[in-house]
Amino acid sequence: MVSDTAPNPDIRISIRNLNKFYGEFLALDRLSLDIDKGEKIVVLGPSGSGKSTFIRCFNRIEPHDSGTLMIDGQVIDDRTDLATLRGRVGMVFQNYNLFPHLTVLDNCTLAPRLVRGTPREQAEEEARRYLAQVGIGEQAGKYPIQLSGGQQQRVAIARALSMNPEIILFDEPTAALDPEAISGVVAIMEDLAAQQITTICVTHEMGFARRIADRIVFMDKGSILEVAPPQEFFTAPRTERARAFLDQMIQF
Amino acid sequence: MKIHNFIRRSASYLITTAGLFATLCMMSHAGHAQSENVPSFATTGHFTVCTDPTLPPMTFVNGQDTRDLAGFDIDLARELGRMWHADPTILTMDFEGMLPGLSSHRCDMVISGIMKQAGREKNYDAAAYLDSSIVVIARSGTPRITSLDDLSGLNVAVQSGTSYATLVEKTNQHLIQSGRAPIGLQQYPAEDQVVQQVLLGRAHALITQDVEVYYRQKQLGGKVTIILKPDNPDFREFGAYISKDPHNKEILTQTVSSLKQQGILENLSRKWNISNAQEQAFTEKAAPSAFSLEVFFSALTSMAFVKGAALTLIVAVLSHLTAIVISIPVALKLNGPRSPLQMLLSAYVAVFRGAPTLLQLLFIWNALPQFFPIFRESWFTPFLATWLSLSINESAYQVEINRAALRAVDQGQLVAADALGMKRSQIYRHVIFPQALRIALPPTINEFISLLKTTSLASVISLQELLAVTQIQVARTFEFTEYYSAALVYYLAMVFFFLFLQKRIERRFSWADRNKATGHGQ
Ligand SMILES: Nc1ncnc2c1ncn2[C@@H]1O[C@H](COP(=O)(O)OP(=O)(O)O)[C@@H](O)[C@H]1O
Ligand SMILES: [Mg+2]
Repeated sequence: MVSDTAPNPDIRISIRNLNKFYGEFLALDRLSLDIDKGEKIVVLGPSGSGKSTFIRCFNRIEPHDSGTLMIDGQVIDDRTDLATLRGRVGMVFQNYNLFPHLTVLDNCTLAPRLVRGTPREQAEEEARRYLAQVGIGEQAGKYPIQLSGGQQQRVAIARALSMNPEIILFDEPTAALDPEAISGVVAIMEDLAAQQITTICVTHEMGFARRIADRIVFMDKGSILEVAPPQEFFTAPRTERARAFLDQMIQF
Repeated sequence: MKIHNFIRRSASYLITTAGLFATLCMMSHAGHAQSENVPSFATTGHFTVCTDPTLPPMTFVNGQDTRDLAGFDIDLARELGRMWHADPTILTMDFEGMLPGLSSHRCDMVISGIMKQAGREKNYDAAAYLDSSIVVIARSGTPRITSLDDLSGLNVAVQSGTSYATLVEKTNQHLIQSGRAPIGLQQYPAEDQVVQQVLLGRAHALITQDVEVYYRQKQLGGKVTIILKPDNPDFREFGAYISKDPHNKEILTQTVSSLKQQGILENLSRKWNISNAQEQAFTEKAAPSAFSLEVFFSALTSMAFVKGAALTLIVAVLSHLTAIVISIPVALKLNGPRSPLQMLLSAYVAVFRGAPTLLQLLFIWNALPQFFPIFRESWFTPFLATWLSLSINESAYQVEINRAALRAVDQGQLVAADALGMKRSQIYRHVIFPQALRIALPPTINEFISLLKTTSLASVISLQELLAVTQIQVARTFEFTEYYSAALVYYLAMVFFFLFLQKRIERRFSWADRNKATGHGQ
């Protein structure tokens, strides 16, 4: 269980009393959590509970208002160099958000070239390796519009990988995909964990959560209510709120 | 004896000084010392004479080169310059712009076949230089009439802005009072169009000046006839106009009367065929005209048209490029969070989209110099004024195109690029703009094509663009169809070129279309 004591610098990600306001509205309420290197965290919770807001704090797409967030013992705040941070923490979105005017290969090389100054040839070589890793090496020359949803999501993962991150955030990566494509993404995420890449994934797919999660984080109304391994969470949820949430999900 | 010597010495001293002074004046060619006989605006050795060169034989373009002005008025300007030891610069502009040009100090004088009239002399000073008479003209065979009242119920064409319109309106008041139908008044911006209405039968008659008719005999001979020569105190003589200034008026009047005494004005009248004897020859037949391919091709290949088209193209391209440069930051700001600057920019867009382009052009050319004297200086050419006003005007439209295009780019990509660590400027340059460009391109090319045609409005502020050139040539030759057709060919060629360019550029946006996207095979 999480504690309110000082953060442990040996732990990859350490969060203490994280708060986030949207104007008057408290979107994240004193969140605390420690995440190990290579761990696969799945964040569950009803819509509007603050899951997206929470994971967007990790790469400071949404800066938090108070509390501490540490990655590898380094405090993330308004003095953090964003380009460096975002190089270490990649992100994959529900709608893929690929750049439609660039080929698959260029989608993957744009950020390394612009942010890191990687020479084009080197960036392309690495991008091809990541594209091959996610199983779409042969699509490198196509435009996003020519690919299926599952293929586009793989490109999005390859694009995140091309910055060589230590952590990847997934915000409902499978919500727009068919079951077969979902299996593909599961395989890729397991592959990432094997490479010691930490993944934090928001999802609504219970089966998907059960298959990949090392631990489940359950959120409601901006708070973390439970943190537990999937076995435990799905069979014996501790809070009434989690039980109600699971009942509702099963009905669908 | 002593005194006598003194006087003699002084006298010779005086004579020497005077001689030296005269030499100096001749050398400097300016004649500051003669300010007694030179109006204040010409003491610098230069003065500007404004004229609308569409009224032969008074003022018109002689030949294909639009800078080659000719006519009685142009010669008069030169004679005045000679008398004042000053160089006249002739500035051509649209009729409506000339008298306001005196107020904005763009023109020192207006000599353009304008009647000397009490109404105009309330605001400007004028000196009469040539007797003239008003004439009513109709197609050959139309019976003579005895007064303007006889035109009751008929259509009459006049050049707009002239006092013939006022004359018709006065007649109408009096017709209506006596229970008769008023005259239908048709106003056209150029004299040649006025004549054309009568030739086409759209107007029963036209009102103009006798001098114009004498000059046009060759074109009009046999087609029209004078049906009335009314005497009206407001239409007895042409006047050269200047800003109100009793001193200058006095000098101008004296100079003109001395030109008359020297017989110079008489010579000019003869040179330009302005005499009553010409009225006789007027009934002679002229050859019927059809579309002349020869005239059409010579217009098409004339330097005047090439230059006019080039000017049209250059002013349109420059204005649109400037508009695009202005519109991008404005569009970004307007799409951003609310701020006081945003309200200001919204007002800017609303005003310049709302106001007619012609009004903006006239405002910048005629009104702006009244607020900021710097715009009266000669560097502020019609070209710059057109560029300025079309850029501002076009930027207001372009802002709306850009805003819509920027908004159409999925915001998710901004977040995605942000999450990859790209800087704001990189995101705009590499992600947002290339996509917004695809969306903005078709409406932008549309706007440009529209702007290319809008440049023709700049003829009112004397920019010698394609339409101005065409009108001047038509006024000279009366060959409407040939010159209009040549202008049409140029406009269409330019428009088609840009449509072709649009197609070429759109090919680069194939990524947006699943069926057309051509990934490079890997
Ligand atoms: N940019 C924002 N401005 C204001 N409120 C927001 C913003 N983003 C999210 N919220 C609010 O914060 C709460 C949490 O949102 P979100 O993190 O997207 O929830 P989830 O991802 O769990 O569905 C919601 O009530 C949402 O309406
Ligand atoms: Mg969400």
